[in-house]
Amino acid sequence: MRNPLGWAALTLFSLVFFLFIYAPLLVIIGYSFNSNPVNMMQWEHFTFDWYRGLLGLGERAADPNNRAVYVESTEKMLAALRTSLMVAGLSTTISTVIGTATAIALARYRFRAKGFYNGFLMLPMMMPDIVLGIGLLIFFVTVGIHLSMLTIIIGHCTFLSSYVFIIVQARIAGLDPALEEASADLGASEWVTLRKVLLPQLAPGILGGALLAFVISMDDLVITYFVAGTDNTTLPVFIFGMVRRGVKPEINAIATLMILTSVLIAALGLWLRSRKAD
Amino acid sequence: MALLEIRNARREFVTPEGTRLAALDGIDLDIGANEFVTLLGPSGCGKTTLLRAIAGFETLDSGTLALDGNDISTQPPHRRPVNTVFQSYALFSHMTVARNVGYALEVRSVERQVREHAVAEVLEKVGLSGMGTRRPNQLSGGQRQRVALARAIIGKPRLLLLDEPLSALDRNLRQQMQLELKTLQNTLGIAFVFVTHDQEEALTMSDRIVVMRAGKIEQIGSPRQIYRHPKSRFVAEFIGETNLFTVTIDRIDGSHALAHTADGLELILPAGNCKPGGNVQVVLRPADFSISDQGIAATVTKAVYLGSDLHLFVQPTVGGPEISITARDSAQAPQPGSKVHLAYDPAAPHVLETA
Repeated sequence: MRNPLGWAALTLFSLVFFLFIYAPLLVIIGYSFNSNPVNMMQWEHFTFDWYRGLLGLGERAADPNNRAVYVESTEKMLAALRTSLMVAGLSTTISTVIGTATAIALARYRFRAKGFYNGFLMLPMMMPDIVLGIGLLIFFVTVGIHLSMLTIIIGHCTFLSSYVFIIVQARIAGLDPALEEASADLGASEWVTLRKVLLPQLAPGILGGALLAFVISMDDLVITYFVAGTDNTTLPVFIFGMVRRGVKPEINAIATLMILTSVLIAALGLWLRSRKAD
Repeated sequence: MALLEIRNARREFVTPEGTRLAALDGIDLDIGANEFVTLLGPSGCGKTTLLRAIAGFETLDSGTLALDGNDISTQPPHRRPVNTVFQSYALFSHMTVARNVGYALEVRSVERQVREHAVAEVLEKVGLSGMGTRRPNQLSGGQRQRVALARAIIGKPRLLLLDEPLSALDRNLRQQMQLELKTLQNTLGIAFVFVTHDQEEALTMSDRIVVMRAGKIEQIGSPRQIYRHPKSRFVAEFIGETNLFTVTIDRIDGSHALAHTADGLELILPAGNCKPGGNVQVVLRPADFSISDQGIAATVTKAVYLGSDLHLFVQPTVGGPEISITARDSAQAPQPGSKVHLAYDPAAPHVLETA
């Protein structure tokens, strides 16, 4: 405050910083409404065509001028989206249960080599995706599991469990152990205490972990690429395939929808958290 | 038969450095029905461990806990007919006050109407009528304290355990709660075991005080016994302000003994078991002294104003440690530097049994 020049410089720096982070997203969102199909960097006029095309409502397919249509198959893309949602839904559910149970076990019970387990659970997060992907692929092939949606889900669970574990563990660490003692003291068995006290108290952490796991699963490309096999394609793998054949306007529309979904999930998480804090 | 009989209770902990520490080192204690017992001692003396062992949160290495003659030492906490008020209150923040209070009945599957009735009744008892729909974090510290209390007494336990429940409250509220707790204990007819490190709190509320030190019981007695007749120097110094003198007995004169300290300060004590030539330790409380025309000659070094009273530190002319006394505050009260004489009732000095 004492130095207005320094203050202005700091403000400018912050603005440039945020611009640097968000400009690419804004460009994508902007161009997703650009009608120019050939050179998408050149603004033609405003259109919803790319979104219509994505949802299979495209008049462009029947466009007499026959300007290029790039999403070869709306059905393929929607199938990829369905796969992604199913993989994310199932692997989030499974890894939330595993991560939460592990966090509770490590925080509340005493057993040997606890520190070792703790470190071991962090490892999948630190490991490069490509190593995990190759490792999983070799494992599935060796054991003889056919690559399918199941292998994608197993693959995602290996590292999503760690994310849920870390978030729930942070919540448990801040919890007064006397809460569970009070519940037991008032006559509740361990099971009743888990149901009526521990899980409701951990709910914001569990929910936060689950939302993060969902977003990460929806977003994963590298690991899925290795373990997906040929019949199943998730949305990121599908998009990656499209981009390899050139960046097309529909990509902007898909990306914009994905940004919107992520923002909605983040907002949901924040809203739930603020509601819990009342 | 006592309500709770604790026999030879032992519990050891291993410190991070690997040494063994006896938190409970052979505790024997009986607690009667409808008795208010306070476990008093400095931190680390084992008082909280003893309370947690009664509740079932700590298991004893050896020894027995018998409630109404039944050994409960192997029962899990949720099967023991004792309830606890926690130092942190441990209220369930995701439940309303009413659900917190009714929790003990809820887990026992008590019918909803019966439960609601009981909750309303006990909320009234602790002075929180109509607060049932609030959340714990909408309450003040004192109100949370009352919710914790209501929650612990709704199940009508045989024994209520209180783990320093007043330590987070400010002084005025604490004193008010002390009186309320005592009244509540009388009306409920439940035995209370109260843990504290605050000697004033212990003296105010207890029927009996158990002074603990390093895992052992140092002395058990009524507040008056503990204050007037401490068994050891530890108890004397832990409970209230103490002037401690180490004296040599010169001679016995009827019911009194004449003695002197190493500095030459002469004292008259009740003869008791004193023998001429013996060395004993003598306790004189600040209020035992009065300022008089004769007695121990001394100079006031410091005066601390306490409202209606003054706390004076005086230096005996013959030397030795300062004596702390209390005197009524008035215009004639001695100032630092004043020469005074200290008198005391020859029956007042208390001779310690042990060093």
